[in-house]
Amino acid sequence: MEGPQTDNHGTSNAIDLSHHLSGEARDRVANPLKDILRVISECPVADLISMANGDPHHSLYPFRQIMYEVPSVQDASDPMIHSYKDQECALSYSRRLPILPCCWTYNSAETCSPDFTKLIFAPPNHHVLLTLGNSDGITKVYRLLGEKGDHFLTDEFSFPSMTNSPLAYGVKWVGIKMDSGGIIPEELEKVLVKWERAHRINKVGCIIRVGQNPTGSTLSVDRRKKIYAIAQKWDLIIIEDDPYYFLQYDIPQTSRTSADPDEFIQDFRSTLIPTFLSMDVDGRVLRIDTLCLPPECDWVGLQAIKLFHQKLADYTDSSTQPPHAFGQMFVTEMLGEHGWKVEGFSRWLKSLRLDYQRRRDFLLDVFQREVESTGYASVNCPEAGMFVWIEVFFERHPRFVREQYSGGSPVVAQTNTEHLLKELFERLMNTQGVVFIPSSTFAIPENPLWVASDGHVPLRDRTRFLRATFGGTEEIIEKGMIRLGKGLREFFQD
Amino acid sequence: MVFLPSTTSATSTVDTGLKRSHVDFSRHLSSEARARLPNPIKSIWKAAQVKAGTINMGNGDPHHTLYPISEMNFVVPSIDEHDPVQSWRSGTGEQNIIASYKDDPCALSLRTAFAYGAGAGLQHVRDALADLNDRIHSPPNHTVSLSLGNADALTKCFRLLGDRGNSFLCEEFTFSAMTNAALPLGIEWVPVRMDKGGLVPSDLERILSNWNEVTQGKRPHVLYTIPCSQNPTGSTLSLERRQQIYQIAHDWDIIILEDDPYFFLQYDLGVDQSTIRQYGYTRAMAEVLPRSFLSMDYDGRVMRLDSFSKIVAPGMRLGWVTSNNFLAEKLDMLTDSSSQHPHGMGQAFVAELLGSDGWGVDGFMKWISSLCNEYQRRRDLFMDVFRQKVAVSGFATAEVPQSGMFVWIKINLEHHARFSTSQTPTVPGGPTTNTADLMDELFRKLLDCGLVMMPASTFAIVDRTGRTTGNHIGDRLNFFRATFVGTDETIRDGLTIFGRALEEFFCF
Repeated sequence: MEGPQTDNHGTSNAIDLSHHLSGEARDRVANPLKDILRVISECPVADLISMANGDPHHSLYPFRQIMYEVPSVQDASDPMIHSYKDQECALSYSRRLPILPCCWTYNSAETCSPDFTKLIFAPPNHHVLLTLGNSDGITKVYRLLGEKGDHFLTDEFSFPSMTNSPLAYGVKWVGIKMDSGGIIPEELEKVLVKWERAHRINKVGCIIRVGQNPTGSTLSVDRRKKIYAIAQKWDLIIIEDDPYYFLQYDIPQTSRTSADPDEFIQDFRSTLIPTFLSMDVDGRVLRIDTLCLPPECDWVGLQAIKLFHQKLADYTDSSTQPPHAFGQMFVTEMLGEHGWKVEGFSRWLKSLRLDYQRRRDFLLDVFQREVESTGYASVNCPEAGMFVWIEVFFERHPRFVREQYSGGSPVVAQTNTEHLLKELFERLMNTQGVVFIPSSTFAIPENPLWVASDGHVPLRDRTRFLRATFGGTEEIIEKGMIRLGKGLREFFQD
Repeated sequence: MVFLPSTTSATSTVDTGLKRSHVDFSRHLSSEARARLPNPIKSIWKAAQVKAGTINMGNGDPHHTLYPISEMNFVVPSIDEHDPVQSWRSGTGEQNIIASYKDDPCALSLRTAFAYGAGAGLQHVRDALADLNDRIHSPPNHTVSLSLGNADALTKCFRLLGDRGNSFLCEEFTFSAMTNAALPLGIEWVPVRMDKGGLVPSDLERILSNWNEVTQGKRPHVLYTIPCSQNPTGSTLSLERRQQIYQIAHDWDIIILEDDPYFFLQYDLGVDQSTIRQYGYTRAMAEVLPRSFLSMDYDGRVMRLDSFSKIVAPGMRLGWVTSNNFLAEKLDMLTDSSSQHPHGMGQAFVAELLGSDGWGVDGFMKWISSLCNEYQRRRDLFMDVFRQKVAVSGFATAEVPQSGMFVWIKINLEHHARFSTSQTPTVPGGPTTNTADLMDELFRKLLDCGLVMMPASTFAIVDRTGRTTGNHIGDRLNFFRATFVGTDETIRDGLTIFGRALEEFFCF
């Protein structure tokens, strides 16, 4: 379903966002060989002979069939998914026409766009690009938008594997205050107002997630609307990085389970929280999705308006190339007629999230028994994702120190929370034999320039959390919580 | 704010044994590469693996019990056939099924292959490819990192080594898709003259010794070369030239990016059958394959890029980079900050293929040798038809390529009625002939006649240093790159059209 203002080429009365492109993105030229491929494909001659390529003929590929054993989602289905080189299948890997690209030969990133997104997300005006994974997608977007001297906004606790990446080429991060519901829109606005007084902001990106990593929070619909309005007012690009989107919990079960596949998909969609993408009238949202398969054959789709899509496709053609054929074939067969189909895949996702929800509940139970009872820590109940955010009450520690002074920088630590957290993390790992990731790993360093000075509690004093996953087996979860409880008791009785 | 557990002797055994290189390569790094931080979560993850029995609740990936794939089977040719490629093509040969499992034993379990891992790729696969390297190149002291193919590896090397304003050296006709990729990074290309034998070492020396850092900026410190089946000219560098080039690189402290996807497709090799019988295919092939830059790399200045794209299929999106330990580590850090480790499906496939239940390394080299024979057959067919249908008119000529997939066809424009050598150059030192226009006309004519070949202009790197010798490259664009990897029918029909179109072009 496209919005009423779009035309066949996907252009619309969306605003011009090209000023957000980095210098590198602006300077990027399309891969000249792929340009020639385009010229060729537009050539009216019917049986054009190509001697222009540089890749092996498919008759020399040393495989002709690949089989995958997968779970059955409907009772009667065959657990094997097949892909063929020379026979009919959802995505055959020999060419049907001399010029038509397919996933085993060289092809352009632009042509790899499945219809799955249209069914599940119905983006208003966006095109899909396949990336190699979330990290690949996000870091490509960073290069698309960011260059030396730029500032990007994100949650004050964020995923460092990704936030570290653009630091190397001079992009800086500004962390926005969070609470249990995620980024606080009013805090975001405050920072932007303060920033404008100090510098001019050229272009800024903002990263949002469901089942936020690491805090496990989920932005409410109300907050999403507020944030989008702020993005419009301040001309921000929103990068909606959502790898845990399909793992949403506590969804009321509908009384009827629909037999009709389309209805099932509709039902399934309606249970998921509306995305920023779905409200993106301006074209300022780039959304990255993962299908929750093992990290390898992940289908990761990046949805964006034509301008960004084209630039990202050019960049992909000039670097990693599109994703490997194994994965493309697998996903295409899976979603195809002889596989699970989109409806079957929705069933798998539904079943998967119930499984994770059980594990989450199990962890919360064991936590209450083994850890909360100590009185030294508490935990949130995440509505989505794979993590819990355990809060440790360091103020109860005998060696806890709070400095009493006023004035000075608003970001300097006034307690020894960070130090105690480090000690706890090491003790848990080395003495108890359990590893959690301490919140300091995720904390974005604060800059006094954008922090409101009155009553601001420095982030370094608030970084008192441990991130734990409930993705493991029950045995791991149980043992882990028992060791945590024991470790906390020993630590606080120091 | 970031915890990086201290490196103890215990943790260093977890690392891949990075030894200190005796040459300092840090001066070659881009400022971005210098500023790059290691991935902190992976540092914690590594530390967590040290002590047995540690419960890791710090990860963020699904448990393997939730992977919806328990087995993958690949139907591949049997390597026991005398000529496996022929048997495969004709459908007469046996086939094998090689398998990867999640819960059963195999060379590389899907539990490992499908989990998050280090950017360099899984140890098992790296070791298998390092073993192949050892048997073919015997590299002095290098590390293998997996890549997503040569485009990925090369563009990462550009980011690793190049800063805005740097000049890099390349062959004057080169794989422009890659050189274009470097332009938005602010890297400029300095082309080195070529002849039939490829890159001319004396021109490389001339450029470096005449370089004026005051007016031209920092002297180039990177050379990008495609030594076998050079793309697009199809030439293969002789051993003598490689040694000369390496010496120049040594003298001027240049990093050599050896982009070698066609290395395994070599012709007229004269493989010794008795060596095959006694020692196997790997040794027999290693004795006749060209000496790579890697094999002579005692300084550690070569980054060699190998790929499965031409010997398996481009969709594999898998290759390997061999370089000194220092640069390998920096490359891996970049990978960890971007595309992450290569896909497990491809790694699983390679692990099984090269493993004891698959072809093994020697079986793989047997497939390679059989593939070379097939490509040689096509090359010979191409050259035969070319002689009959094209060269006979005198309008075009071509050298016989020793490797790879390309024939560099020279169009003898001097025979054309409208060929002119007295054009006024539009820029000082610019082209003085109308080669470019005539070639453009010919390209479009071919298209109209139903044939497409790559025009030389797609690959030409214009010299912008203003210090070039000889004529402008615009006067030397009278070539097409044609491939002989299509079917026999494609070759015959294509060259017939070519011959006819050339006649029409020159005569009417």
